[in-house]
Amino acid sequence: MASEGLCQDRNNTDNNEEADVVPDFEPGASLESMLVTTDSFEELEQEMDSSFDERQMKESTTSTISEIQEELNDTTIPEDSSSDQDDKLMENDEVACKNFAEVASQLSETSLTSNEDGNTAATPVGSLPEEEYWQNPEWKERKKHVFILSAAGKPIYSRYGSEDKLVTIFGVMQALVSFVQTNQDTIRSINAGNTKFVFLLKGPIILVSVSRTTESASQLVLQLTYVYNQVVSVLTSSQLTRIYEQRRNYDLRRLLAGAERLIDHLLNFMEREPAFLLGAVKCLPLTPSVRDSITQTIVQTCGKIKNLVFAILLAKNQLITLVRMKKYFIHPADLHLIFNLVNSSESFKAAESWTPICLPKFDSSGFLHGHVSYLSDDCQACLLLLTVDRDVFFTLSEAKQKIVEKLRRGNCLEAINESVNRASYTASQVGVPEMRHFLYKCKSTAQFWSPALEPPYHISEESERLLGLYQALHHRLHAASRPLKLLHQQLDKETMLGWVSACITLSKMAKPNRSYATTTGKASYMESVRGVYWLKGLGYC
Amino acid sequence: MVIACSKYDLYLSTLHFLLQEDKKILFYYPPKTDFDTQMKNVGLSEAIVKFTDTFNADQLCEALHTQKTRQLYHQAERGFWMVMVIMNKCVRKSYCSIILLVDAFVETVTIPFVAKVKDGTEYLEYQSDDVQDNVYLAVLKQSYQMFRLFKGSFNAILNSKGGDIVHLKQKLDHFFSRYLLTLKLNHSDILDVFQGIQFLPLDKQTFLRVQCFVNLIEAMFAQVKYTAFLYNDQLVWSGLEPEDMQVVYRYLVTSLLPAHLETELQGGSMPRHPTSPFSSTHYGRFVTGPANLQDTSGHIGKVPKVYINNDLAPELYHLVVYRSLSATVCMFIEGTLHLTIDLFKRLDIFLGPQLTKLVSEVAEQCSRQATSSSTNSVDPSPKFVYFNKLNLAQKSTVHLDSRRTGNVAVTPEVLRLLADINADKARMSTTGETILKTMSDYWVVGKLSNLREFYVVIHQKNANLIEINGKYIYTSD
Repeated sequence: MASEGLCQDRNNTDNNEEADVVPDFEPGASLESMLVTTDSFEELEQEMDSSFDERQMKESTTSTISEIQEELNDTTIPEDSSSDQDDKLMENDEVACKNFAEVASQLSETSLTSNEDGNTAATPVGSLPEEEYWQNPEWKERKKHVFILSAAGKPIYSRYGSEDKLVTIFGVMQALVSFVQTNQDTIRSINAGNTKFVFLLKGPIILVSVSRTTESASQLVLQLTYVYNQVVSVLTSSQLTRIYEQRRNYDLRRLLAGAERLIDHLLNFMEREPAFLLGAVKCLPLTPSVRDSITQTIVQTCGKIKNLVFAILLAKNQLITLVRMKKYFIHPADLHLIFNLVNSSESFKAAESWTPICLPKFDSSGFLHGHVSYLSDDCQACLLLLTVDRDVFFTLSEAKQKIVEKLRRGNCLEAINESVNRASYTASQVGVPEMRHFLYKCKSTAQFWSPALEPPYHISEESERLLGLYQALHHRLHAASRPLKLLHQQLDKETMLGWVSACITLSKMAKPNRSYATTTGKASYMESVRGVYWLKGLGYC
Repeated sequence: MVIACSKYDLYLSTLHFLLQEDKKILFYYPPKTDFDTQMKNVGLSEAIVKFTDTFNADQLCEALHTQKTRQLYHQAERGFWMVMVIMNKCVRKSYCSIILLVDAFVETVTIPFVAKVKDGTEYLEYQSDDVQDNVYLAVLKQSYQMFRLFKGSFNAILNSKGGDIVHLKQKLDHFFSRYLLTLKLNHSDILDVFQGIQFLPLDKQTFLRVQCFVNLIEAMFAQVKYTAFLYNDQLVWSGLEPEDMQVVYRYLVTSLLPAHLETELQGGSMPRHPTSPFSSTHYGRFVTGPANLQDTSGHIGKVPKVYINNDLAPELYHLVVYRSLSATVCMFIEGTLHLTIDLFKRLDIFLGPQLTKLVSEVAEQCSRQATSSSTNSVDPSPKFVYFNKLNLAQKSTVHLDSRRTGNVAVTPEVLRLLADINADKARMSTTGETILKTMSDYWVVGKLSNLREFYVVIHQKNANLIEINGKYIYTSD
């Protein structure tokens, strides 16, 4: 697996760095990690550097899924993905060449048409279907637009409004992208006052975000990457590539029908959740013994099932436990997609389901098959059993029943319920006066914790503003070329402190005009609660 | 041709101007670019402007980031766009993080470096974060202001010739072909964002003497409309509007005076008018104007004409600069007048002795101040940058001189952080404060209060936030 190799490298260098820093304790740290731990900003550099992509392609010639299948002596032989990718590269070159002439004319055309609009307000050259949205002020004033289009300029997705009424806009975006490409360059972003236009080129598709938020361009790229991953999660990257190899003008909406809902939900999800920013997941608070017994229950029940790669138990967007095949890790980005899937699909609540799902970071070229179900009517935790074998629904269904029974006998369901229903800790309970809210990420386990939002952040407008402040802080703290150790900002309404130590990323937020003394050195609190908030134990199956 | 001094530095790839309605290229650098490439690049700029406009009618496009370039957009006047394309710094990195600087892409400016991956372990990284939008946008705006100072606004030039753009093209070409050579892209920093003026603090009496002297000039010579007085690189008095003085000041300090000093130095010891009867009594001479007043040909030398008050009603003036020792007097003489050698002679007779006397008084004042504050510059005390938006006053101990040649007391990284903090200013209302600690243990404090900006850099490894806060309060007092 490509990304795994990468992460190992990273970890090694991280460790070297840590060596010459004062050895600091890391609350929530664990000897064993089950999540791939990369920082979102590191990830981003990869995403943004196209040369990286090429390299990754070379490494990822073997698919993780087929690896597992082979190991288990499965007979299915996966497609030869390496030749796939070579083809893809060639295809891209070709496209670029072909586009060259096309684009030049398109560019002049679009500028022509908009000129005429300005002068005469007549229908521009080239008949347009009805009125397009870009003439509609309400549509223009949306806070964050997200568009997906194919490299050939075919509309795939628009967050607001129907794609058919945006043909001109899609055309211009495609033209801009390929125009810059003719100079062996890649367009990344445009700044215009408070609006940012961010472009992400991912193989055969182009993603664009037009945002009026305070997020930085790199954070918007990260969001677009998630959107792309969501598409891959539905289609797999190999299918995506194959489609466009065969028909450059394919209308992908036919295949993505139904997935728009997932993308919409994901975009809203990212506007509320700091998890994406931090590249980490949050765990449901449980006493270690309960969490242990839940994990052991799953391990005992599923241990004998062949081909089961991951078992994931989650509730209320928080992870309860994760059991995995010994050799394989799950990336937080993949977990986020799973959270999104569970969140946006009411149907899982009604009945157990059998769904194909591709985890792009795990293996973007193939599907895992997931048995998804809620534990029971009286316990709203969702269990996902992911396997590479497409014919084991009944085995997994049976296993799930056993797990639920055992958990019920061990009073674990009650414990989960209690934790789900219990009001979350608030920042004021931490005992640091005037601290309103904080985010804490434990780098080595890719987990984070934050207290409940208290007034004034309980209304959605304010909580979005709060996330915006965290994003701005995070951006400066982890700027790729000028990373910082500490950042303290006194703003109009609050004081923010961001602090990165060898292994901690802590971002706090307090009322304005507070003394400096109280802002520092409260990490010790975190240590005291770690038993409850962190998922440390590991289960193998 | 590459403007930057070394191969792996940032350099200007292209600079072009276009007239939006007619889609005409007014100026294109580098000039030898073939027409197709010019059309393509200008077409892209236009498309970007249009595209952003569809979403954002009231806010103008400022910057385009691509992997290899940073393009800055400035609508200098309605319909006139200036676009500056800067190539990002490019380093070759391998995964064991050995950084090698690339020695490629020098030959032609418009064809960027094409990455070649050897044995799959190296890749090129374009360090786009080093090009800061706010800094280079300011550089672009400055170049327009400088053009306007000497040539007038685009519209005025167009209108004067009945809309004939050939004339405008010539003027742009004439100005920018030389101006671009003086751009110091690698040494652009937060001071370019401020574009402030360094004032010389003087005691009341000396200041009044300077003002008195300036009033006297304006009373004696009715042709002189405005006067400015500088001591070294610092402004003592100016009759111009601050916005105009800002541009004139920059011209004087970064271009005219250094060039003058250089010729003086090459001329050996302090030059005097060899045959002047006043040579024994004063050291004054014209920086712009006749080099030799005794020249019988009556040649008055080069006196630049400048346009000031461009926003309301542009006025044209001759800029006559007279210098004696460290003091410089700039006189703005009505542009409609014909300058004669006689006027210069009368100015010289009046200014020479008076200025020579005045400058020694100012110098004395300054040396007294210098001794009282010299204790500060010896110890490794915090370095600071200060800017007051109200009077455009600026002061920096981060920069060791005002020549903008990269002579700074902090690392480039820290200098960029100052501009980062400045860019975050938009999120604060009138007051705000940022304290940060870099990986190399520099502490940087930025404070915004009532249109004043104050930045402090402290290098102290074992300090904590509380100490730094205390220290900087002490410094700011």
